[in-house]
Amino acid sequence: MGKKRVIAETGAGMHGVATATVAARFGMECIVYMGAEDIQRQAPNVFRMKLLGAKVVPVESGSKTLKDACNEAIRDWVTNVESTFYIFGTAAGPHPYPMMVRDFQCVIGNEAKVQMPEMIGRQPDAVIACVGGGSNAIGLFHPYIEVPEVQIIGVEAGGHGIASGSHAAPLTGNAKVGVLHGNKVYLMQDEDGQIIETHSISAGLDYPGVGPEHCLLKDLGRAQYVAINDDEALAAFDALCRFEGIIPALESSHALAHAMKIAPGMAKDKVLLVNLSGRGDKDMNTVARIKGITL
Amino acid sequence: MSRIQTTFDRLKQQQRKALIPFITAGDPSQRLTVPLLHALVSAGADVLELGVPFSDPMADGPTIQRASERALKQGMTLRGVLGMVAEFRKQDTTTPVVLMGYGNPIEAMGWEAFAQRCAEVGVDGVLTVDFPPEESHEAFEHLQRHGIAPIFLLAPTTNEARIEQVAKLARGYVYYVSLKGVTGAGNLDLSAIEQKLPQLRKHITLPIGVGFGIRDAATAQAVAKLCDGVVVGSRIVQEIEDSPEQDVVANVSRLVKELRQAIDQAQGE
Repeated sequence: MGKKRVIAETGAGMHGVATATVAARFGMECIVYMGAEDIQRQAPNVFRMKLLGAKVVPVESGSKTLKDACNEAIRDWVTNVESTFYIFGTAAGPHPYPMMVRDFQCVIGNEAKVQMPEMIGRQPDAVIACVGGGSNAIGLFHPYIEVPEVQIIGVEAGGHGIASGSHAAPLTGNAKVGVLHGNKVYLMQDEDGQIIETHSISAGLDYPGVGPEHCLLKDLGRAQYVAINDDEALAAFDALCRFEGIIPALESSHALAHAMKIAPGMAKDKVLLVNLSGRGDKDMNTVARIKGITL
Repeated sequence: MSRIQTTFDRLKQQQRKALIPFITAGDPSQRLTVPLLHALVSAGADVLELGVPFSDPMADGPTIQRASERALKQGMTLRGVLGMVAEFRKQDTTTPVVLMGYGNPIEAMGWEAFAQRCAEVGVDGVLTVDFPPEESHEAFEHLQRHGIAPIFLLAPTTNEARIEQVAKLARGYVYYVSLKGVTGAGNLDLSAIEQKLPQLRKHITLPIGVGFGIRDAATAQAVAKLCDGVVVGSRIVQEIEDSPEQDVVANVSRLVKELRQAIDQAQGE
């Protein structure tokens, strides 16, 4: 394509770090747009991006989170479209991004589909992943859509609880269909069609929309979508640290929390496959602050 | 005949170019929007673009972003904007009014209900920045059924096939985005506009307005020489932002008169 400059939006910073990494490897200029609030709560990833040579631009408009970073990246793109490729971070946005991002993310689902029979002699009873825009989830889910005996469960950010209205769960919260960032999806909005501010403890899930393929899977009934609140996600975060020695990302902790919620009601021979989509190192500051600890 | 067509026909006869100012409805206050619209007409505006504020104005630079925020903070809604047009039409039945904004508030209201209401209150055209032609057919059928013109944006990067596609769907006038960027950007390139316009004219028979980045009388005059209408948004919105509330109408009037004069002089040369 001959483009020498890449831009990206990022919430938790995972996608920003990935973009900064390839840009460093191939000698390209890299600009990452990130909500000012997310820069605060994901400081380690901001530092990583800077080490990799990326410029991290704080976005001060709106709710200062992922959707605002996305707006700003789109503004950059229309201004610099000839020199710049926009590496979209989630399986949403204008076509063909949802399809492209899904296909790239499918590595995890394809590997799981091969490795699960090797490990347990069959496919799992359910696959579970957290859903913000839904990229890690669609990557795991997509290869399993054609396997009807595998239940598909997407876990959205319930924030302070669906009833509180302070969440980031358009599918579970029965949001109306709307248009934002070039796709028509279930979208958290007020009666006038203005996008409402979302809340989640995890920056990566703090987004008012969700990718179009998840909307379709919900409508078809092929996948089930549920929400996990901030405090449930934190409890799952603690549990995985203590019992498995793995520090999960707060995003992934939502998926874990749901697995922990349903597992006790299931027979012992059932198998749940949870996508541990991110590491929790980046969340040390957030978790410490919530626990009242100064690092 | 539609108000937009009547206006451009009249201008053509007079060998004049259209001045198309933009303001955001509800900025700086809901009370001032209708008086501002009348003042724009008195100062020499031919077509009015009235911005419907949106929470996520992706195509707008900081000036119009702030205007949208101010308007939303005042409780401005799409229904409220339509009410303002009804109010404006009590005194002005001839100046075309085009609503400009993003698709979602209209989606939320429903296109049929919106188009019907537009016709009732006297809206002439609708421009939804984030609806590409491929996704617009159904929505625009509703508009056309009620005689409302779908206004399209074309950009420096728009290729020939797409210009043809837009030429089929567009009504009223076509809005050419003068630069690669957001509203109010500073990188206006007159020679690039001049080069692109023949390609547009090959397919588009409607009047062509040019906007984005026109910030003073000089740039308005230069652009007027190239096209049928000059759209000025951010510069006017900036004037609104910089003026104490009691001076907003007077200051905007003065600015628009300057622009009018500059555009008319472009013809005299």
